[in-house]
This record gives sequence, structure tokens and C-alpha cells, in this order.
Amino acid sequence: MRRSMMLATVLAVSAPALGHAQDVVLQFWDNQQTESGLSEYQQEAVRSFEAANPGIKVEVTTIPYPEYQQRLLTAVRSGNAPDVSTVDQIWVAAFAEAGAIVPLDKMAEDGGVTAETFFPGAWASANYQDQLWGIPFNVDVWQFSFYNSALLEAAGIEPSSIATFEGLRAAGEKLTDAAGGKFGIGLMGHKGEDTVVVLDSFIFSNGGRVLDDDGSCALTSDEAVEALAYLQSLVPYAPRGIANASSGDMRELFLNGSLAIEFWPALEQPTLQKSSIDWDFVNGTAPEGQTPIGTYGGWNLVIYQDSEHQDAAWKFIEFLTSEEVNGKVVDLIPANVAAADTFLNANRKGPDRILEHLNNASPRPLSPRYLEVSDIQVTLAQDVYAGMDPAEAAEKACAAIDALN
Amino acid sequence: MRGPSRVDRAGIVAAQLVVALIVLLPFFWIVSVSLKPGDEPFAIPANLWPDNPTLDNYISAFRPEFRTYFLNSVIVSLSTVVITISLGLLAAYTFTRTQTRAIMICMILVIAAQMFPASAIIIPIYQMMNAVGLLNTYASLILAYITITLPVAIWMLRAFMIRLPVVLDEAAAVDGCGPFRTFFLIILPLSRPGIVATSVFVLIVTWQEFLFALSFTSTKDMRTLPVGMNDFIGQYGIRYGELMASSVLVSVPVVGVFFLLQKQFVAGLTAGAVKG
Amino acid sequence: MANRNSWLAWVFLIPALIPVAVLMYYPMIGTVIESLYSSSFINPAPQFVGLELYEKLFASAEFATIVRNSLIWTVFVVVMQNVSGFGVALLLNQHLPTSGLLRALILLPWILPGVVAAILWRFMYDPQLGLINSFLIRLGLSSEGTAWLAEADTAMAAAIVAAVWKGFPFSAVVYLAALQDVDREQIEAAIIDGAGRIRRLIHVIIPSMREVIVINLVLTTILTFNYFDMIWVLTRGGPQNATHIFPTKIYELGFGQFRFGDAATYGVCSILVLAILITLYFLVRRGDKAEPAGRA
Repeated sequence: MRRSMMLATVLAVSAPALGHAQDVVLQFWDNQQTESGLSEYQQEAVRSFEAANPGIKVEVTTIPYPEYQQRLLTAVRSGNAPDVSTVDQIWVAAFAEAGAIVPLDKMAEDGGVTAETFFPGAWASANYQDQLWGIPFNVDVWQFSFYNSALLEAAGIEPSSIATFEGLRAAGEKLTDAAGGKFGIGLMGHKGEDTVVVLDSFIFSNGGRVLDDDGSCALTSDEAVEALAYLQSLVPYAPRGIANASSGDMRELFLNGSLAIEFWPALEQPTLQKSSIDWDFVNGTAPEGQTPIGTYGGWNLVIYQDSEHQDAAWKFIEFLTSEEVNGKVVDLIPANVAAADTFLNANRKGPDRILEHLNNASPRPLSPRYLEVSDIQVTLAQDVYAGMDPAEAAEKACAAIDALN
Repeated sequence: MRGPSRVDRAGIVAAQLVVALIVLLPFFWIVSVSLKPGDEPFAIPANLWPDNPTLDNYISAFRPEFRTYFLNSVIVSLSTVVITISLGLLAAYTFTRTQTRAIMICMILVIAAQMFPASAIIIPIYQMMNAVGLLNTYASLILAYITITLPVAIWMLRAFMIRLPVVLDEAAAVDGCGPFRTFFLIILPLSRPGIVATSVFVLIVTWQEFLFALSFTSTKDMRTLPVGMNDFIGQYGIRYGELMASSVLVSVPVVGVFFLLQKQFVAGLTAGAVKG
Repeated sequence: MANRNSWLAWVFLIPALIPVAVLMYYPMIGTVIESLYSSSFINPAPQFVGLELYEKLFASAEFATIVRNSLIWTVFVVVMQNVSGFGVALLLNQHLPTSGLLRALILLPWILPGVVAAILWRFMYDPQLGLINSFLIRLGLSSEGTAWLAEADTAMAAAIVAAVWKGFPFSAVVYLAALQDVDREQIEAAIIDGAGRIRRLIHVIIPSMREVIVINLVLTTILTFNYFDMIWVLTRGGPQNATHIFPTKIYELGFGQFRFGDAATYGVCSILVLAILITLYFLVRRGDKAEPAGRA
């Protein structure tokens, strides 16, 4: 009697375990999207993935942006990392250097995932020291110059003119009436990455770079210093308080009609569509005759070293970045070029112009110490906007950057 | 204390109102923003009242997750208050009544712990919680909160207890009370304002604590209210209306609790008991 | 409960000591050890460097700035919070019908979650959209308003005001409780002696609250020194490090730039500076402290 009871108990307890033995549970972390009903689409996508891959379950954890970096870092350091997550492009090199993520070259090759599928800048941002560490998930470019059509018209400014250095400055002058609370150009200088990417795009557009190929600072080059001087000349046309202004602040001023031109990635469009402003945009700013070059932004998908389900994780990544799915699960622009085309045509004004800017854009330096470089660049921006001599400010920044090594 | 004279009364009430106005002005702003529809831009100069006030933000802020976060905050905070006050009372009593060297050193060490900056110790604590499998549970937060409020609680309670003269203890001993009875029947009731003040302190500190809550909870169903605020802060923009509505919903209950607790707080001591 | 019962004292004490030892001292010791290694996220194989990181730190101009900012921040916030807290406590200690409601309402700034309060104040200080400039312009006190948080001169002051608003209710509550505790008989005696309001305050009430005042000053010093949320959200330590204090620097180094060894070093220095500050305070007090603890 006892024996059979024991047997029965053992069987009863182990039966569910047997049933689940095949199920792999993938932990997927993503940046929480506050704007749209995106999480619904993500749930749907996850369900269709699970249906197509019986035996793999995906647990999605969305994490609000302000905490994302901290949570990931804490988790990785404690051996608690998820199997797969999105990471900001600028963290890839650091995560790779730290040995937190696995190189994906072999999996990509076997799966037929190649550079051509994605935007060149995005693919570049996932490569570090000749290895592939992530697959691009979504992208955007800083910046597009969004303008208030009514304000420009009233000031007699031809919108396409603001795509040149001279044109932007002239427009800024006509549009600014500080005493009346009207400003032309939304410059930002707070301690944030948006300050840096805007700074970078002006430098890139003028032919300069942040770091040379050998990793040394390139900010003291003539092109870079010229760009800095140019930005400094725009200060009188920007709202006061640049040193603490964020892109979010500039948006609020644009929305209530006090700012005529704001610098934002394509992500800004849904917000503008909901507003009552009559708006359009140009692809950034460059000296007369040159093409504006924007700064790449976006997120890549990576697999963590400690993951026990790396193959399943790879399948999930392939799924998320495929042409059919990529467009449905992102809020920024899909990194998959074909998906991006569809997405932009369906959701955004001026899709061709956006694609053009995306294809011309340049990523930020791929250094594992990028976060420290970025901090130095913020100081550079604040110095320049505060009136320091641009060449001097650039030298100060280069001294700090070169000292990192 | 005798009541103040008529003129005094008017003057004091006036002063109270002025103080209240200055202190609460930002809250008018919070309410104003909470009633502003999301697509109405901010005005220049600032409007204290939106053009088209709406309750949409409150409806949105009172989403299902909010109730979960609220419940979590209540459970964690109340548990912490109860445990911290209990442990704190015992410790404070010891520190006021026993002056041996070892105990004094302990006291200094406990108070000194308050000086440790949270962001420096958070990762080791996280790793410890992870090692014992307590992550993402109420226990981890309660433990952490007890730890960070205990030094302060002990200190505050000690400050109130130290005013109770030792003659009280001696009188009680003469009456045949052992240490426990002395503690529960004499010292505790006399420390009431101190206990209430310390409880309020612990409650409020844990109610709005952010860093540990952020680090120790991973799933949405375990988050507390302050962490829940992050839902409204995106990478590039803040949803002000809902954030402010959420803050109102978060602050009101605690104010209500304190308002009810006031009687306890203000009870004071009858003359004579303290003098002994 | 004299010394002969000290074993009982330990029984009372141990339950409180355990969490503090395990969850505060043990990690802190770990942090101290970490500060002796050069380790960062990207260099997971730490090398022992002894006090090298500290040397580098003390030599940097930034460290001096952070110490200076931390001290200014702490001293001003603590003094203003305690003075205003005490004043408000006196005001609310009156037996008037309005007092009850106000005692509860006055808590609001303190209850508001730190991050929200900081976002609120950041918005109020906004040069174009903020309440403060709107007020000043409307009242004719300023023509264009000031960019409070963007100028190095005004940023720290602005942050201090916000922090005082946020934290003074705590001091008010503590002092209110202490006021309740004041010996009625002593006050009656003073009134009979003909002492007016101010004299009663200075010679009877404040002296009898001495313990509480001291404790509150030290407490608010510690809490303010380590107060992270307000400055982080207002300015992230800017502009140009004008408002960077120890907690914000530690967070920026550790979680913002993945430099854990440096963060640990700053963490240890943070405690040392704070300890020195408090010791100084007690040394000053020792000069005029009369009674031993435990006797009324």
C-alpha cells in the first residue's frame, strides 16, 4: 500500500516536469515604449513566434528608459542578465569588451543575416574589433530640423534654405524676438546624449570627426572647430538656458509656438501629427553645397554570455529583425531596410527624405569608453554655448579624451 | 498652554495661511498640470489653470498597474514601519539606559551606518539578495528598508526617550516591575509623540524610496509607486499630465493617514508624569 | 535597568544590530575593498592598485569642486530646513482650529516622491515655461526672467531652495513633537516670573529641546549630504559641475559610465568627508555641553 502510494506521488510530481522538459523560456528585456500601444503589437509578435517555434516561450520584460541602463548593468554584474535584450548602440562596445555578450558572426553567417539587410550605419554600430556583436533592431537619425511652417512663412523664409549653415543662421535671426518670447533655433546643452548627437551632426556635416581611426581625438581639426564656431554663432537665436535645456524642453516650446525650428529624430513625427502645428522638416544642416550628415541612433539586439539558450535566443533575434516583423515591433524606424521602407511609407511624412538621411548618417565612435567620451563632449558643448573660444574648448576636450587612454 | 489672545490668534492664523500658501503653491501647479489635456501645449506665461481641464489624466493614472503598485507600497511600508519601530524602540531604550562602553560603541556604529551612500552599496546588496533568491520579493525590500531606516529611527526614538528620567525606571522597579514591564507599561506610553513622529518618518521614507525599489524589483507586479512613476518618463519626453495626476493619487493617502493620526501626535503629556 | 542587566540590554539590541551589520557594513566593506582595485565594467579582471585611485582622485580639480559643492549644499540646506522647520512648528503648535488641518497639509512636500518633486521644480525653474519666471515678469521684478538652472551662479541656490521646500516638513514634524514634550510646569513657572514670549522661547523651550535639536541637525546633515534625487533631476550635476555633489558623482561614475572602481573610491571619500563634518560639529558642541545623557 505504502509503496504504491509513494510511486503514485513520485509520478504525480514528475509528470508536469516531464511535460515541460522541452520548453525553453527566453528572458527578453526591452526598452518600454511610452508613446504608442506598441506593447500590444509586441505581444502579438511574441505569440506568433511561439506558435512558429513550439518549445520556446518568451517572457518579455519592458523597462522604462530612465532605469534601463542601471538595471541591465546591475543584472549583468550579478550574473542575472536576461537571455536577449536590446541595448543602445553606444553600449555595444563596452558590453563586448566586458565579455557580457557573445559574438554573433557564426550565427549570422549560418542564418544568412548580412550587412545588406540593414542600414550601413546601424550594422557598423554592431561591429567592434572586427566581430559582430549585435543585430540592429531599430534606428533613427539626429537630427531632422522640424519647422513651424506658419512662423517661417510669416517671416518670409524659404523652408529649404534652413538646410544650409548660412540659411539656418539667417532664418534664426529673422525668427528670433527674445523680448517677445519668440525663438528661432532650439539648441540644447544639458547633460544628455541628445546634446552630443546634435553637436556631432554639425561636426560631421562640416566634414569633421570626433575620433580618428586610431582612436585619438579629432575635435581640434579645422572642420570640427569651424562647426563649433558656427554653433556658437547660433546662440543668440536660441531660448535662454541652453546649459540645462533638453530636447524635451525644446519640444514643449515648439508645440506652443514660441520656437520655430527644433532638432529631433524622426521619432518626433507622431507627437507633431497630434498637435495643431502646421509643420514640415528638412534633413539637417550642412555648409552650402554639401550633404547634411546626421548622427545614427538606435538599438541593437544582443545575446548574453550567461544565457543557457543561445540558439533559441538567436532564433528570436532573426524573427524580430525579419522584414515581415521588424516594422511591427518598433517605435523608432526598423533597422531592416526593406521593413523600414514599408514602415516609413505607412507612418511618416516624407519617407524618401528620411531614407536618404538614414543612408547618409554616421554612427558615434565605437569605443568601449564611449560613455566617458560623451561626457567630455557634453562639457565641450556647454563650453562652446557659454562663449568659450571654440579652438580652446576643442583642445580642452581633446586633452581629456586622449587622457582616457 | 493657555490660548493666545484675540489679536494673537488673528496674527497667528494669518501667518499660518501665508506659510501654507507658499508651501502649497507648487501643488496648485501639480493639480493644474494634472488637469491639462495631453495635447494642449504649455502656455507662456504659465497658466495656473488649463484652458480645457479634463480628468483624463487621472483615469489614465489610475490604471490597473497603479493599484498593484499601491498595494505593494502599502505592504512594504507598513511592514517596515512596524518592524523598524519595534526593533528601534528596543535598541533606543537600551542606548538610553545602559551606558557601557561596548554599547556606546554599538550605538555609534549604528548611527554611522546612516552615512553610507546608497548608490555605493546597492550592487553588493543586490548580489546578496540574488544569492539567497530574495530578489523581486517583498522580503528584499522590507529588509533593505528596515536597514536604511533603523539607524535614524533608533536615533529619533532615543532623542525622545532620553528625556524620560531614570527615576521613572527606579520607581517602577521599587513597585516590583521587571525590565519588560517597565518598558511596556511606563516608557512606551510616555514616548508616544516620539513613536508617532518616528513612524511617520519611516512611513514617508519608505513610501517614496526609489533606488532600492528600482534595483530589487524586476517584474511589474512587484513594483512600488515611486518606481511606477517611471512609466511616464520616456527617453525624450515626459508625460507631465499623467505624472502629476499620479503624484496626487500617491500623496493624498499619506496626508490622510497623518491627519487621522494627529490626535495621537498632539496628545502630549499630562503635567506631573514627566516630572516624577 | 543598570549595568548588571547588560546581558538583557544585548537581547534588546541584537535584533536591530543584525540587519545593519549584514546589509550595511558588509557591503560597505566590500566597497572599500573595491576602491583598492582598478576595476570597471570593461575591465572585469581587477588589479590591486592600493591607494592609487585615491591619489588620482585627490589630485583632480573635480574632486575639490565636489567637496566644495557638497559642503555648501549641505550647510545651507540643513540650516534653512531647521530654522524654517522650527518656525513652522511653533506656528502649528497653537491650539487653533486651523492648526490641525495645516499640520497634515504641511507634510505634502515631503511626501511627494523625490523624483516627482524634482521634475516639478525643474519645470518651475524653466526659463520660458516656468511658474517662477512668469511670476517675476508679471510682478515686474524681471524683464526676461533668469535661466536659473543653466547658470553656474544661480543653479546651486535654486537647487537649495527646492531641497529646503522638500525637506523642511520633516524638521517641522520632529520639532512639533518635541514642543509637545516640553515640560508644562517649567513654562508656567516662567510665565509667573513675568517672562514674555521670546524669553520663554529662548530660555525655557529651546534648552529643553536641546537633545532633539542636536539630533535633528546631525540627521538632516547626513540625509542632505546623501540626497541624490533633487540635483540629479534638476541639473544632473551641471552646468559644468556647478551642482555636482558626492551622491550624483557616484551614480554618474558607476551607473552612467560603468566605472565602478572610481565610484567606490568616491563612495569611501563621501563617508570620510561626512564623518569629518559631523565630528567637527560635535567638537564645537563639546564646548558648551553641560549634562550627561540620561538625566533630565
